[in-house]
Amino acid sequence: MPTLRDATQEAPAPVRAVANAVSQWIEQLGGVWVEGQLAQISRRPGINTVFMTLRDTVADISVPLTCQRTLFDSLNPPLVEGASVVVHARPSFYANRGTFSLYARQISMVGLGELLARIERRRQLLAAEGLFAPELKRDLPFLPGRVGLITAPNSAAERDVLENARRRWPGVEFEVAYAAMQGTRSAAEVMEALDRLDRNPAVDVIVIARGGGSVEDLLPFSDEAMIRAVHKVTTPVVSAIGHEPDSPLLDLVADIRASTPTDAAKLIVPDMAEEVRGVLWARDRVRQVVGQMVAREQTRLDDLRARPVMRDPRTILDVRSDEVTELRERARRHLSHRLDRAADDIGHQRARAQSLSPLATLQRGYAVVQDDSGQVVTTVGSITAKQKLSIRVVDGRINTTVSNIEEGDPDE
Amino acid sequence: MSDENPSYEVAREELIEVVRTLEAGGTTLEESLALWERGEKLAKICQTWLDGARERLDAAVAEED
Repeated sequence: MPTLRDATQEAPAPVRAVANAVSQWIEQLGGVWVEGQLAQISRRPGINTVFMTLRDTVADISVPLTCQRTLFDSLNPPLVEGASVVVHARPSFYANRGTFSLYARQISMVGLGELLARIERRRQLLAAEGLFAPELKRDLPFLPGRVGLITAPNSAAERDVLENARRRWPGVEFEVAYAAMQGTRSAAEVMEALDRLDRNPAVDVIVIARGGGSVEDLLPFSDEAMIRAVHKVTTPVVSAIGHEPDSPLLDLVADIRASTPTDAAKLIVPDMAEEVRGVLWARDRVRQVVGQMVAREQTRLDDLRARPVMRDPRTILDVRSDEVTELRERARRHLSHRLDRAADDIGHQRARAQSLSPLATLQRGYAVVQDDSGQVVTTVGSITAKQKLSIRVVDGRINTTVSNIEEGDPDE
Repeated sequence: MSDENPSYEVAREELIEVVRTLEAGGTTLEESLALWERGEKLAKICQTWLDGARERLDAAVAEED
């Protein structure tokens, strides 16, 4: 086969030869790093190649860019029109159509780092201003009267918050304020909803919820005006934006950061089942304690009542009864003794009396003379003649009359 | 003694005191009998309190079941 250089007007080369030659030459260029902006993306179902247009950021120059659909779909965040990208691509020539394109093996977004750097600078400024200070964080009410929810209409985030919160606490009330949760109008609409909910006194907590998304999608939630608006509201705010790794500035200014909308539902209402369990446990415990207390007191009371003095009050009497018996015995013994002694005494006294009695003297022959008044006559001077006298002898009396009186000792 | 509806604790404390006094002795028979009667009365008051508490507890448990 002749080379293309040998081709002449008379012996022209076929299209395939030219195409193949161009193709071969282009293939030899190898991989190259290219930076540009995606002007157009065409991803058709069923076609394994995604067609895009890569435009120069300055000059009005565009080249087609292709890649495997699997590569395109694996990108996170997903490629959007207008995104700045750095591509590692191999220039290639599609001979069938004679089209040139860059076949990308690797695509990465640029501007993302720049975007994140801007957010970081804003974060530092607002932090220095004190908007994220921990002491500003308010506690959420244990059981909010009404929950304000800012989210996109019919979004998964809305469903996640409502369903999970109601599952935990069926009586939870919501005041839903819809707002665009991405795009240029998002920040303004969210701020408006926030203001409305904050002014409603029935709303005790406000949740701002949105599903995950690219850094660009979540950009409104790092918007300075919105951050300042959240900082100003008096109602506690829960930030529930995206998934765990996403961290817009809203997370920092909010009173509580929920990792997902579902997590927000857990934060705003208590789990009724758990609370009921707690209440039941506490009630059982209280009953147990009271029961034990009553039982303990019953034992103490039983002990008191079982003491001899209480159980059988006769013991009170028994002691005294014994005492009385003993005293009576003692009294009797004493009295008997006294009587014995008295009897002895009487004997003595009688003997003494007998020994002192004039009877013995009378027995010896003496007599006692008494006048008629019973006066014992001891001298002759006290009597007169013819006076009646009574003479007491041992076995009786002799009544007599004085015949004469002689003075002086009759024995002399 | 003038309070005829003493709390459980007041009644129990007095009952303890009555028993202690009775056990210590040194009181007249008349006083002892009066103390014993007082003790009986106090024990009854305590028992009434405990019965009432037990009843209320049982009622609360029964109500729930």
